Amino acid sequence: ETTLIFGEAGPNRGARAAALTQFTEDATRLSEGDLQFDIQWGGALFKAGAALSGIADGVADLGTVISVYFPQEMVAYGIADLPLKNDDAWVGMKATDDLMRNNAGITNSLADMNLVYLGTFTTSAVHIGCKGAAIRSVDDIKGLKVRGVGAYGKAFQDLGATMVPMSVYDAYQGLDSGLLDCSQGYSYATAALKQQEVINSYTLLNWGQVGALGILMNKDAFDALSEADQQALLKAGEAMPDTLGELITIDNDKAVQTMKDAGVEIITLPDADREKLVTAGAPYIDAWIEQANAAGLDGAALLTEYRDLIAKYEAERAEQGYPWTR
Amino acid sequence: MLRRIERLLVDLSIAAVLGLCALITANVLLRALFNAGIPDSTVLVAELMVAAVVLPLAATTTARAHIAVELVANRLPPRVGDALIVLGSVFGLIALAPLIWAGWREATGVIEKGSFFYGELQLPKWPGRVIFLIGMVICWVRLALMVVTDIRTLRAGGRLADQHPEEAA
Amino acid sequence: MDGTLVGLVAFAALILLLGLRVPIAFALAGVATIGTFVMFAFRTGAFSPDRAFRPTASLVFSNSFDLIHSYDLSMIPLFVALGHIAYRAEITTKIYHAARVWLSAIPGGVAMASVMGCAGFSAITGSSIACASTMGRICAPEMLSMGYDKRLATASVAAGGTLGSLIPPSVLFIIYGIFTETSISSLFLAGILPGLISLLGFLLVIWLWVLRDPGAAPAGVDTLPLGQRLKAALEAWPAVLLFVIIVGGIYGGIFTATEAAAVCVAVTLLIGFAQRRLTWRAVIESLRETVVQTTSIFIIAAGAKIFVAFIALTGVAGDIVGAVQAADLSIPLLMLAIAAIYLLLGMFLDPIGIMVLTLPLLVPLVEGYGLDLIWFGVVVIKLLEIGLITPPVGLNVFVIASVVGKEVPIDRIFSGITRFLAVDVIVLALLMAFPILSLLIPNAM
Ligand code: NA
Ligand code: NA
Repeated sequence: ETTLIFGEAGPNRGARAAALTQFTEDATRLSEGDLQFDIQWGGALFKAGAALSGIADGVADLGTVISVYFPQEMVAYGIADLPLKNDDAWVGMKATDDLMRNNAGITNSLADMNLVYLGTFTTSAVHIGCKGAAIRSVDDIKGLKVRGVGAYGKAFQDLGATMVPMSVYDAYQGLDSGLLDCSQGYSYATAALKQQEVINSYTLLNWGQVGALGILMNKDAFDALSEADQQALLKAGEAMPDTLGELITIDNDKAVQTMKDAGVEIITLPDADREKLVTAGAPYIDAWIEQANAAGLDGAALLTEYRDLIAKYEAERAEQGYPWTR
Repeated sequence: MLRRIERLLVDLSIAAVLGLCALITANVLLRALFNAGIPDSTVLVAELMVAAVVLPLAATTTARAHIAVELVANRLPPRVGDALIVLGSVFGLIALAPLIWAGWREATGVIEKGSFFYGELQLPKWPGRVIFLIGMVICWVRLALMVVTDIRTLRAGGRLADQHPEEAA
Repeated sequence: MDGTLVGLVAFAALILLLGLRVPIAFALAGVATIGTFVMFAFRTGAFSPDRAFRPTASLVFSNSFDLIHSYDLSMIPLFVALGHIAYRAEITTKIYHAARVWLSAIPGGVAMASVMGCAGFSAITGSSIACASTMGRICAPEMLSMGYDKRLATASVAAGGTLGSLIPPSVLFIIYGIFTETSISSLFLAGILPGLISLLGFLLVIWLWVLRDPGAAPAGVDTLPLGQRLKAALEAWPAVLLFVIIVGGIYGGIFTATEAAAVCVAVTLLIGFAQRRLTWRAVIESLRETVVQTTSIFIIAAGAKIFVAFIALTGVAGDIVGAVQAADLSIPLLMLAIAAIYLLLGMFLDPIGIMVLTLPLLVPLVEGYGLDLIWFGVVVIKLLEIGLITPPVGLNVFVIASVVGKEVPIDRIFSGITRFLAVDVIVLALLMAFPILSLLIPNAM
């Protein structure tokens, strides 16, 4: 029996925690009880900003890595954070997982850092909640004070919003006091942080998601395991899109309902405006290609591969529905 | 020589605090008046924090301003109390050594990889790490020197409390 | 190697080293580093030190560096600087003069005003440490120069600082809300009444203290004519302006609490230079004190952060909670056991660290008993606040100690704290026995 230390920066609540727990339970079951886990929640061992070295150095054997903290080292994984008009959580995760698992270049560059990819999460589609203001069209963005998320925030800035530096946990107070007009986020997180108590409107952007986060393992620790245990971990990781996809889709729907019940107006952005957002995000896709090239990867080729994968899983979903509804 | 370095580091730390104040205030004013902001201000603030907090470490040590519980030590004979001060410094050497080694690995690591922070300016990660390392190293050197001179003082029959740490600060 | 054993040995070693006057930061970081090394070296059963170097180094570096490399905590050096600069600009002296003139009839009135100032300030910062840093720098030296008993002057501010997290807004409530999926605004509302009860308790302590020992507070001056009292109040305008800027700015949505610190320093500099009470030389001197003080606080907090990561590795917190769970206690005994766990961990660890270590395990247990999580949150925050002023590691006490320097040794501050702790225990018992005290306001909303 081997006990692996798992470092997670987030709390033991919510969809991601449930998917993480499911991953460890799957791995234990698939290894016939050989693999046990000691999960350290809330960044008790290391915060999100130190996850990469924490895992590579063996502070934890495996853990959650959020790519945005490592734009240089995790440039390939960062593809899953781009505004590619793929807002479906399950499709996004399947495509990302497929890429990370099967692209030899990515596997090698992770191995150079003493890391092994196991499975992927997503935070799901980026939407935006506002107090006072309401975003009904792209033109409404101009002049708003916004807490942004990654490239989605940058694109908002280009559309005339002012970025306010603030942690996601302070957003509640910022919205309440009027310091923020709007805060970008994910439906389930918006509800979990009780932002429905302070916002009046929630605009569904249907633009893209933040999906570059997942479970990486220390390569030395991985190599030290038996072949069977290694397969158990990889298999458990491969099941994550289905587990989290179901959880997060349900949670997001529930969260939107919670917001509605709290009197928050739910706005869907018209298609024409959604296209404008996609256009506004394009420079950051190009910037990513440059970065990937600089890191010795073929950025354009990776992007094509990723877009093809998104199309593949979109088709699968269209034909068969989600795995949990089949 | 070390005194001058310490003083320089404290001055840099003061500059960092003024920088924090100026940067954040400017950001508030820009937002309130012009609906604008300083790019990557959170990263800049965090990096300045490292300078503000870590650089005065050696001067704090020289001033014997590290907080300690003196309840027991004050009830012991003075010479024993002085010996405990030396023990504290020795323990400091032990406590900081792994941080220095780790800081070196980390600093060289981010320089090698060219790591940067996510943001508009893609600010490099090395400055904060290098500043952390410098602060720790100078503090360690100061502690080591203090151990040597304190032991010398004690052997010569002197008292550590007789020294005037105020000049250092 | 049994993690719980390593953890308990580490606690014992820490007490021993602190007793031997090893600087607190070095003791925390050193014990945690050695303990971490032991844990990693024995991971496979046999002692293999070569496998422990890298993870140990990585753990100690990231935990100390990440604590310092923080946007949110920039509030602390800035609020400390605010205290120093406002002192040099004679802003704080003017408030104290006004307080003294107006409160001359009340024995210990200025100490009471200081604690109320802490309550007011805690409604702003959301952090107990920031609260103690600022109010400590402003209040403690002024009270000392007025002739207050050293223990009273320092302990009242250290205790007053603990109101920072109970009175909203509060970082601790936000973290608790995230770990329990409870409403943060309900938690904020729930903290108000217990915060005010704690405040009343502290005022009572000061009143009784001065009643029993009139020498602890300076003798009251004769009540001055109204005209002179009004003049004293008017002269305190810069302080009032600062307060209006902070409160108006935060609640008016112009800046965050972190930004408020910077804006206040800038405004104080402006007022000080305009009134010709500040020179650049004086500013630099204040900042010299600021940075040495900030460093001595942060290095302890960084040591404490490393210690938390080490304790996480040992699993000792989980084992203790597991033992409580296995004991299948009645609700009153469960609450007593939880209080004991928090008070024990609170002796050594910082509030956020304790929450991260305990909440994932405790909350399901508490939920299983069908207890109200909002009420439980208030109890937890109160327990964590108490931990900030209990020996041997009491961060608020260290903050005050760093402010007053060698004039008042830590042991004197801790000795003054005991009376405030006694009241805290009574308040805690009330909060545990009568959940309505916490739930009244959130339920009414
Ligand atoms: Na507060
Ligand atoms: Na304590």
